[in-house]
Amino acid sequence: MSQENMTTSDPETTNTESDQLIDTDPGRGGLDESSGRGSVTSANTVIEARNVNVWYNDDQALNDIDMRIPKKQVTAMIGPSGCGKSTFLRCINRMNDLVDAARIEGELLFNGKNVYDSDVDPVALRRRIGMVFQHPNPFPKSIYDNVAYGLRLQGKTDNMDQRVEDALKSAALWDEVKDRLDESGTDLSGGQQQRLCIARAIAPDPEVLLMDEPASALDPVATSQVEDLIADLAEEYTVVIVTHNMQQAARISDKTAVFLTGGELVEFDDTQKIFENPESQRVEDYITGKFG
Amino acid sequence: MAAETQSDTDFGEVSQLKGILFEYLSLGASLLGILSLAALLVYVAVDAFGLEAADPLWFLIYFVTLVVPTLGFVGYGVKNRAVGTVGGTSLLYLLGGLAATLALSILFIIFDAQQWLLVYTVGVLPAALVFIYGRMKEWQQANLLTPIVFAVGSMLGVFLKGPLATFPQKWIIYLWTLGVPVAALLGSRALNRDGRDAAVATAVGTLAIAVAAALAGPALTGLNSDVTLLLGLFVGAPTLAYVARVVRTGHDGVAGLLMPVVIFGGMLLGAFVVQQVAVAQPESWVTWSYFTNPPSQLSAEEAGLFPAIVGSVFVITNVAIMTLALGVATSIYLEEYAASSGLLGKITRLIQVNISNLAGVPSVVYGLLGLALFINGLGLGLGIVLVASITLSLLILPIVIISSQEAIRSVPNELRQASYGMGATRWQTIRNVVLPQSLPGILTGTILALGRAIGETAPLLMIGAATTTFAPPTGYFDSVTVMPLQIYAWSSQPSDAFRYGVVAAGVVTLLIVLLTMNSVAILVRNKYQNES
Repeated sequence: MSQENMTTSDPETTNTESDQLIDTDPGRGGLDESSGRGSVTSANTVIEARNVNVWYNDDQALNDIDMRIPKKQVTAMIGPSGCGKSTFLRCINRMNDLVDAARIEGELLFNGKNVYDSDVDPVALRRRIGMVFQHPNPFPKSIYDNVAYGLRLQGKTDNMDQRVEDALKSAALWDEVKDRLDESGTDLSGGQQQRLCIARAIAPDPEVLLMDEPASALDPVATSQVEDLIADLAEEYTVVIVTHNMQQAARISDKTAVFLTGGELVEFDDTQKIFENPESQRVEDYITGKFG
Repeated sequence: MAAETQSDTDFGEVSQLKGILFEYLSLGASLLGILSLAALLVYVAVDAFGLEAADPLWFLIYFVTLVVPTLGFVGYGVKNRAVGTVGGTSLLYLLGGLAATLALSILFIIFDAQQWLLVYTVGVLPAALVFIYGRMKEWQQANLLTPIVFAVGSMLGVFLKGPLATFPQKWIIYLWTLGVPVAALLGSRALNRDGRDAAVATAVGTLAIAVAAALAGPALTGLNSDVTLLLGLFVGAPTLAYVARVVRTGHDGVAGLLMPVVIFGGMLLGAFVVQQVAVAQPESWVTWSYFTNPPSQLSAEEAGLFPAIVGSVFVITNVAIMTLALGVATSIYLEEYAASSGLLGKITRLIQVNISNLAGVPSVVYGLLGLALFINGLGLGLGIVLVASITLSLLILPIVIISSQEAIRSVPNELRQASYGMGATRWQTIRNVVLPQSLPGILTGTILALGRAIGETAPLLMIGAATTTFAPPTGYFDSVTVMPLQIYAWSSQPSDAFRYGVVAAGVVTLLIVLLTMNSVAILVRNKYQNES
């Protein structure tokens, strides 16, 4: 097994390993229910955090996070700036590995396997967990090549045209771009670019889709298009979305996690309960706009 | 008073005197630089082209036949952008083709055409085919196979040279090794734009023009059939293809095609009128024989720059290959791989500081290094192509590294994140995202650095390069001279004809080569910027 080999791994080896890399370990599923907040049962948990702590140099960004993210639902993470919600998102697919100063403790289980185990290849992990970023960042390549990027990386080059078309359809972009697939992805409008990035992320068919404030750089019309899309995507993918916008979380998510200053997960429950009847006074203050 | 008794409507005034002063000072400084450079160029040009000998009427004739129409056309092109674009592009096709012909002719003086034929046929062509096949069929292994095929085939080609006795004529070699790829390239571009028929017509037409030029050219121009083939291939065919495309698509700027006609027609008309009127012409030192003669020490009229031009082109080609490979590799390592924190980060920073310092080390010191390392240390010959190339490469390597690093650093981090987020390895991210994005910057920096290398004299003197050679180098272990060295040698000749005329002509030649290289840098940058 390759170990932490993102600098040396080549596509062939990581590709073959990725399928057997993260096995579901039935022995780990049976946790005591008291440790999980909210009502996620162990059976449909995809991602589980156990005592996750993250430091950037000496600053603690996440403080003892325990959380279970359910399968094929939209889980929103809300909270004020600097509360660690993006950091947590980036821990899931190990994007924080790219930050030299970041240090993580605790366990983060994906299908029951700790992704920070030494035998997990972060590159292979990221091929199963797609990511969409805050600012639309299509590659300065054609629309087709943008969507095909992940497919080519993973060697899924059979039926390429069909796969690209399917991904663009799933991202509700196909009708707008089907006649100009060879134009540059950067020539699209902001909202189209973000949907292109979503198409790019789902083209290789990941299990989980991480979204880091995907609508914060978009205008209201584009935002609502992306929101509709997220609701559709949840039928096939597990979606974890970080957002600044509480109304957005209320509109699109099934579960909501509220992070507050200091990197604490204060409350995690059904979205409806969080917004109507939160248990914590701090969460209520935040949701009703008393601070944040 | 005003400031003390401000009413509600009187806002007072804020002094902008310092700012205005600074603005005009900066303007003056820029003008001073540009004007002194222009004065120098005029001074050199007067000597090089022997303009002092010309009758004022001569200037008037060319002013009327060449300068006025050209300026008028340029003015029209500036107002009517489409015409200007077409005019500029058609000129570029002509001049670019001419530059390519010259560069290839010089390179084939150095490199054996027969050897190239074999290496191309069994190494380069199969590798290119594998690569293209891999691109079209999305066949990933092609990326791995291409360099293997290239290396094995090239070696095979080198060994084949011995047993084979007969070779085709030079122009047939050119037709096969250069004509076919150029035809395929032009054809594939036509395929993307206008479809299959146009592609076939373009490819076949290109080959036909090349063959016609090789067969009919020598009788018409007095040049060798291989040179006329190159002219047909690089000047004739692309220009004709461009003209055909502009005419057929009904481009708004179709009038721009007259730009080259105006310029070259103006030259011919001017020459004709001058001949008819019989005014005194300039006694130019920049003549055709100046480019083709060896450097006579006795007669200024027969002196030529030929071996030095070939030497410069040979050395610069080697330097370009070496610095691009080493410089890009180093800058990628420093920017993308090297640790930025901890003990290793400190070492990286130390290396970084050292590279910056090396960029400022005087060139003569590099000459000394070359002398000590390659000649005294490794026992290589004095002043040979290999040592000259490596020494100049070391000289500009720090500059190439620093400019490449800047280019790589300017690639937005968001694109890297996007690539990593898709599950790309570091190498895949570099190859698919970082390098394509930073290539224009890397090439611009490298070509500007090469401009410095081509003008260097001191380090080459230190490694014992001859100031004058009478034959161009034909291999890596031949002794070489370059243009600035030859110019320096002439400048110490006693006769005025050498010190003013021949030297000035050499300077003009050197400047033309430099300006051409810089123009290529700008064109390459613009092309890639437009694409991304």
